[in-house]
Amino acid sequence: MSAVLTVSNLHAGYGDTTVLRDVSFEVPAGEVVCLMGRNGAGKTTLLKALMGMLRKTGTVLLGDEDITSWKGHRINAAGMVWVPQESSVFPGLTVREHLVIAQRGNNVEKGIAQAAELFPVLGERLEQEAQTLSGGERKMLGIGQALVVNPSLILMDEPTEGVAPVVVQELIPAIALLRERASVMLVEQNIDTAIALGTRAYVLEHGVIVESGDVNALHDDGTLAGRLAL
Amino acid sequence: MTIAALLPTDSFNVVVLAAVFVLIALGLHFTFGMLNVVNLVHGEFLLIGAYTAFQFQEWTGSVVVGMVLAPLVAAVLGVLMERGILRFLYERPLDSLLATFGLSVIIRQLVQVQYTANPRTVNDPIGGSFVALGLNIPWWRLVVVAATVALVFVVLGLLNRTGFGLYARATVRNPDLAETMGINVGVIRAALFAIGCGLAGLAGALLAPLNTLNPQFGLLFLVNSFLVVILGGQGSLRGLVAAGILLGGSLGILQFNISTVFAQIVVLVIAIVGVRLRPIVSEKLSVRRDRLRRAEALSGA
Repeated sequence: MSAVLTVSNLHAGYGDTTVLRDVSFEVPAGEVVCLMGRNGAGKTTLLKALMGMLRKTGTVLLGDEDITSWKGHRINAAGMVWVPQESSVFPGLTVREHLVIAQRGNNVEKGIAQAAELFPVLGERLEQEAQTLSGGERKMLGIGQALVVNPSLILMDEPTEGVAPVVVQELIPAIALLRERASVMLVEQNIDTAIALGTRAYVLEHGVIVESGDVNALHDDGTLAGRLAL
Repeated sequence: MTIAALLPTDSFNVVVLAAVFVLIALGLHFTFGMLNVVNLVHGEFLLIGAYTAFQFQEWTGSVVVGMVLAPLVAAVLGVLMERGILRFLYERPLDSLLATFGLSVIIRQLVQVQYTANPRTVNDPIGGSFVALGLNIPWWRLVVVAATVALVFVVLGLLNRTGFGLYARATVRNPDLAETMGINVGVIRAALFAIGCGLAGLAGALLAPLNTLNPQFGLLFLVNSFLVVILGGQGSLRGLVAAGILLGGSLGILQFNISTVFAQIVVLVIAIVGVRLRPIVSEKLSVRRDRLRRAEALSGA
């Protein structure tokens, strides 16, 4: 199957500090690839580098397009969107305005209706400032923003981290729905979530990929538990 | 006897000064209030606008063409400055302060080289005045007040009712998130800087007939512009308008009774006390808003 994202020999970091070293992997079209690792392994750094937010060397191909030196807005327009871990929002802007920005003015009401159908709570709070949403609702907004742009690849950073179990039960079906529409690269520490959603997994340690393969196989042979144990 | 009869005939100057304080700070709302650049070159964009009006008056005999072109000239120079220098300094506020200070000195010196330090005058495009409610109202000053009111509504509309305004608000509040959500942050920042400089240029051109021009012209307005933006709350257009009216109006009233120098000192004191009290007032207003919102929610339920 062709790869929607191909990363080769990626080195990236903050300022003079290199965090990621010689990272190479693929996200095949139509799959959910889990990027796993302990805190500080470099998972979020990898997503930021892919979205053009950090200096990097190596090669990043989105489909056949070399996006290594592209800026974030161009990467987004090309079809790769990011759902950040910290559920970032724009202070003072409403839920509706966030969804409008995500779509950049294209068929806005249809997109808003889609997001509201997936997460009814968002539909009830369209005119509420996004910064006043709970953590779980912000995660929903992040996923809703990704959904409405019909991307080819979604980078999702720990969507279930720090969220109440009852909200996780709402988020997982939504992520499963996204899986039907786009390829997903899912950063996750929770093995159960990875198995529920993922097909393939890469394990990152100290900025280096140390394991890769079928997520179930890595779970069955104890690799994931061993690598992610504290 | 009417209230107007109790006022000095030039009381309209209070309104004019309030409008001028808002007008000179409107451009700074974009460059400092939104983009967070401590823009010490703001006064020189007023200077550029004023001298553009003057130059066209020299070339054509009419100041109107220059007044129309002044914001365009200032906006183009603003974009060149932002793309060439300031875009590298958004995360380095001290460096941007130094850069804008240096640029302000360079522009002032260039103007002095070209036009000398001799005072210049820009003609009043309309001239004359009329009397209303016992007040003497010069036509051009009325134009300045009307233009300020119109510009405030245009800026409010631009920022709150357009797609550009939405992207701009998103960009200044979280540039990294804006970029990854598909907004070209570089273009938005350049556009905001251009608008800020253009508004400064327009303000300079509008105010030129009310003042004698010299290369120090922009410095006259720089401190008061910052006072208005800071007192109004950085990034708050409504706050800016309120602060401009408070400070400009106070200066206008005080000038009836005390010298301009002492009036400016009192205005500075008002600004300092205002900045000290603003968080308290904001907090009380915020609590009141929350109470009203909760009450509405309860009544709705």
